[in-house]
Amino acid sequence: MDPITFSIIRHRLYRVIDEAVITLKHVSGSAITNEGHDLMVSLYRADGSLLMGGVGFLHHLTSAAEACKSIIRRFEGRIDEGDVFLTNCPYTAALHTSDVYLVAPIHYDGKLVAWSACFVHVYDIGAMVPGGFSPDSRDIFTEGFSSPGLKLVEQGEMNHDIMDTLLNMVRAPEMVALDLSSMIASNNVARERMVALVHKYGPEAVDQACQMLVDQSEESFRERLRELPDGRWESRQYFDIEDETYRVLLAMTKKDDTLTFDFTGSSEQSKYGINCAYWAAWGGFFAPLFPLLCYDITWNDGVLRPISMIAPEGTIVNCTRPAPISLATVGAIQSVNNAACICISKMLSASEKYAKEATAVWHGSHFAIFMFGQNQKGQEAIGIMTETFGGAGGGRSFADGVDVGGEIPNPIGRMANVETTENHFPVRYLFRRATIDSGGPGKYRGGTGLEYAIQQHDSPDGGIHYVVSGKGTKFSMSDGLGGGYPGAPCNYRWVHNNEAAAEGKNVNPFATSTEQMTGEQESVSWGVYPLMDQDVLYVRSDGGGGYGDPLAREPERLARDVRHGSVSAGVARRVYGVVLDAAGEVDTAASEAAREAIRAARLSQAAAE
Amino acid sequence: MSARISASLVVNDSGEIACMSCGHALGPSGQPWKNAATLSETPLQGAAGEPYSNAANVLLRKFYCPSCATLLDSESALEEDPFLNDVVHI
Repeated sequence: MDPITFSIIRHRLYRVIDEAVITLKHVSGSAITNEGHDLMVSLYRADGSLLMGGVGFLHHLTSAAEACKSIIRRFEGRIDEGDVFLTNCPYTAALHTSDVYLVAPIHYDGKLVAWSACFVHVYDIGAMVPGGFSPDSRDIFTEGFSSPGLKLVEQGEMNHDIMDTLLNMVRAPEMVALDLSSMIASNNVARERMVALVHKYGPEAVDQACQMLVDQSEESFRERLRELPDGRWESRQYFDIEDETYRVLLAMTKKDDTLTFDFTGSSEQSKYGINCAYWAAWGGFFAPLFPLLCYDITWNDGVLRPISMIAPEGTIVNCTRPAPISLATVGAIQSVNNAACICISKMLSASEKYAKEATAVWHGSHFAIFMFGQNQKGQEAIGIMTETFGGAGGGRSFADGVDVGGEIPNPIGRMANVETTENHFPVRYLFRRATIDSGGPGKYRGGTGLEYAIQQHDSPDGGIHYVVSGKGTKFSMSDGLGGGYPGAPCNYRWVHNNEAAAEGKNVNPFATSTEQMTGEQESVSWGVYPLMDQDVLYVRSDGGGGYGDPLAREPERLARDVRHGSVSAGVARRVYGVVLDAAGEVDTAASEAAREAIRAARLSQAAAE
Repeated sequence: MSARISASLVVNDSGEIACMSCGHALGPSGQPWKNAATLSETPLQGAAGEPYSNAANVLLRKFYCPSCATLLDSESALEEDPFLNDVVHI
């Protein structure tokens, strides 16, 4: 095939996905899809293997391939033009029940030539708790509707029996119908554009280009691996739930042009829904691998071929049915993301050519707050606070982590503005801002996380409920790199202003910090809680990991950090050894003396920092 | 000519792992090096300001070059867990 035709077809495939994503967003009505971009659209070969990875949450690229393959097996001989299939079973392919896959065969002249697949986190899935994150579930049977495969659309006609049954099992069925419709529309657009592509260039030429694309990715990726040194790198993630501590252990071995991810030693599966199944762990390390190692390589099955995984059965990275799994995405999957990010970055750091691609961990906790209840318009409001997509960036060899900068697994993730959230939920923000001293110190510091506080406002029920379901508050999950400190842990507090008011204390309705709040502050990290009347929910996300020795940070950067409220003067002096004068300028002599004192203390093994 | 093996370490001409900043040797290439570094283990709680205040029972391990005091690596760990070991074959 001539290279120009190949390039045109390759770019057309990208554009097919772009247009399908736009369609999905235009039809879906939920904030998690439109504001947070908790979505994914990709294209697959006729055998279900990944052809062209799209945007959105990257750990879905490979899991949706398994969804296509499972549908091919289940519906062998019954896959027709115009069909759309649904699966959301985590033990088949999906990450958790809320992330529903709709996959559609693409036919040309009666022959299956490709698949399109997409997902959104649907508005509700009928779990114990509205929205799908179900911390009280102790098995998958209470985590909502789950199917290993359904034919939702048959030869272009909606199967209303199935659709109506689904909508009968969920809250806010009109919103779930919109979510499912958005995915049907997305698949329709992908199919139409793919058929047009095949019609223009012919099925043989398109098939040849697709095969070349996959082979090209494999060849390019293996070449990149050969450029990197052989070795074995370790990482470890901790998290806590209700006084139980969990570990995700990873040893990544690179040999010649292959990589092995070995999770041996990770904790046994939990009674809480933070477990993930095999294909979720598989997708979990591809989420950082694609952008860190394959930023200039097409994300497809060719990248998967040099990779193997060891994930012992019965552990939190390969749990067995019916273990609960509804929080996998912010649970074990995110820990796999983080562990892989560090191992890959340590490997990159061992290469002169690729060291600049390394990064400390971004957004390690993926803290998540779900809200549910009647809103000020009398509607059933269910959804995630999209700050969960506003993670803190990790430091790199040439730059600080981006403050409230997003996350690696979702390059297009974003969070809603305050007004959008206040319009959807009966709440008002007391404040939302970057958190001082939250970024992990380093030559290049981690990005700052954020903190916000909300109160109910104009709720017909006097308040709303929220679900806290991250991975605890005791551990830092955004590891540093090359000596950089980990970012600060999360923090969630229920401020009991109602009790304070009942005791006759003044409650400041316009508090702009937790210090100005009168009520007792109770730490919470797991479960469902009320947000009633004058009570406040305070949330602080984790900071990004730092890169390199904090003593190597240019003093002028600290002066700027302190001016901007990213680092306090105390931490600048104590951790970075930079002293500022009354005007906020660097006191060079005092800073040199402070750094010398820290170095001396290091060598005497005193904990001067 | 030395070859880098991490953000802070190289393997020198003698086949030893060495500090990238000052060249101090930390042991043979391909072997764990952290035991040759100066170790500081302090609670992560309060390690770098108030946001670290709720870290509990977890240590921040810092591995310094014994010669120039450069911070070579860090890791958070529970007391009973071993050092993370990375091995690069040059």
